[in-house]
Amino acid sequence: MASRTKQKEEARARRLAEERARAERARRDRRIRMIGGIVVGAIIIVGALIAINSGGGNKGGIQTGTERNATVTAVDQMFAGIPQSGATLGNPKAPVTMTYYGDYECPICQEFTLQGGFPQLVSNEVRQGKVKVVYKSFCTATCNGPNPNVFPTQQVAGLAAGKQNKFWQYTELFYREQGQEDTGYVNEAYLTALARQTTGLNLTTWQSDRNDSSLTNQVSSDQHAGKTIGVTGTPTLVFQGPKGETGMSEVASYAQLQQAIKQVS
Amino acid sequence: MSTAVSTATPRRLSVDAKLRIAIGILSVIGIGIGTYLTYTHYAKLNVLCLSSGGCETVQHSRWSKLDGIPVATLGLAGYIGIFISIWIRGELGRASGFGLALVGFLFSMYLTYREAFTIHAYCQWCLGSAAIMTVLAILTTIRMLRTETVEPVAPKKKPVDRAERRRQMAARR
Repeated sequence: MASRTKQKEEARARRLAEERARAERARRDRRIRMIGGIVVGAIIIVGALIAINSGGGNKGGIQTGTERNATVTAVDQMFAGIPQSGATLGNPKAPVTMTYYGDYECPICQEFTLQGGFPQLVSNEVRQGKVKVVYKSFCTATCNGPNPNVFPTQQVAGLAAGKQNKFWQYTELFYREQGQEDTGYVNEAYLTALARQTTGLNLTTWQSDRNDSSLTNQVSSDQHAGKTIGVTGTPTLVFQGPKGETGMSEVASYAQLQQAIKQVS
Repeated sequence: MSTAVSTATPRRLSVDAKLRIAIGILSVIGIGIGTYLTYTHYAKLNVLCLSSGGCETVQHSRWSKLDGIPVATLGLAGYIGIFISIWIRGELGRASGFGLALVGFLFSMYLTYREAFTIHAYCQWCLGSAAIMTVLAILTTIRMLRTETVEPVAPKKKPVDRAERRRQMAARR
């Protein structure tokens, strides 16, 4: 009788052990599936984050067709009637000068020029003759990219347009049709395509002006001037007026620009 | 028997507690870095940096934002999430901590790659954050795998009680 009970107990213990082992296996399998699911989910999330961070499908670059026509019209309207001389935009006797240290390939400069306070500044203070803008070349994104040597060539392309008082149209077109950073998109075809889009620019004169060594020297002296005053990034804006000087290095809003102008006026 | 259980349980749990403490300390440091970088971004201040201009170059690069949101702010949210996860009991807490640390680690690796091969500049704060995320990913993985042996300790009592009860009933007969 005792041995039968013992046998029953042993059988029960075995069954319990098996059940426990089965439960343990099931728990382990569930855990492995969960870890696998989390790893796959994390990879998908990071993939999506990288796609957004890399700029997704928006590659920019030279526009064509109706998109190009709309851009050219908008740029012409933006600068129509505003005096220009080389890289200076606005009334040369304006009491306040905003020096804009920029790099044509810099996406943050693009953001400031297109979405920051710059368009409103041009439409109001610059158009009214209260502020003039002086562009100075400062290598940042281009120098960090795959082809830093293109920097003087691209900036001189703008300055050569400036010899026909079209610097700001060319610069605005560059920012509006800026390509994907670090893809080495700036080449002869790209620079010439922008020149062709610049309304009223004599292409032959522009091409010959690009060989003017004084323009290359200007790019070098701009860089040197920036380094001297401690510029490390672009866009850097320096405001000079009767009440002194102030600066900022960011995508400034129109309100911030107005505040800086007020400070030095 | 009861002594064996009582000595084993605290030892195993203490390892989990140590992991939670380490994860908590690291996520608090991460929250500090994330808060500082987010604050300097929105307050338009320059970041304190050991290398000349390295941090500013990184902070002004297009890779420093994700659809307009600074990556430092996303990192801050991640660290807060990991910190909260250590206070959530059971699988949910461990799994959410592991998932967040893994996403943070993989994205940090991508950003470090951008610093090295695209921006060609380093930001010590970003590298520090990447190192913390790496350690957090390791610790949360260990915690996720380890707890498998901790859980089954408590339910062992029941079969012992039932066998005892049967023996008592058989003795009564």
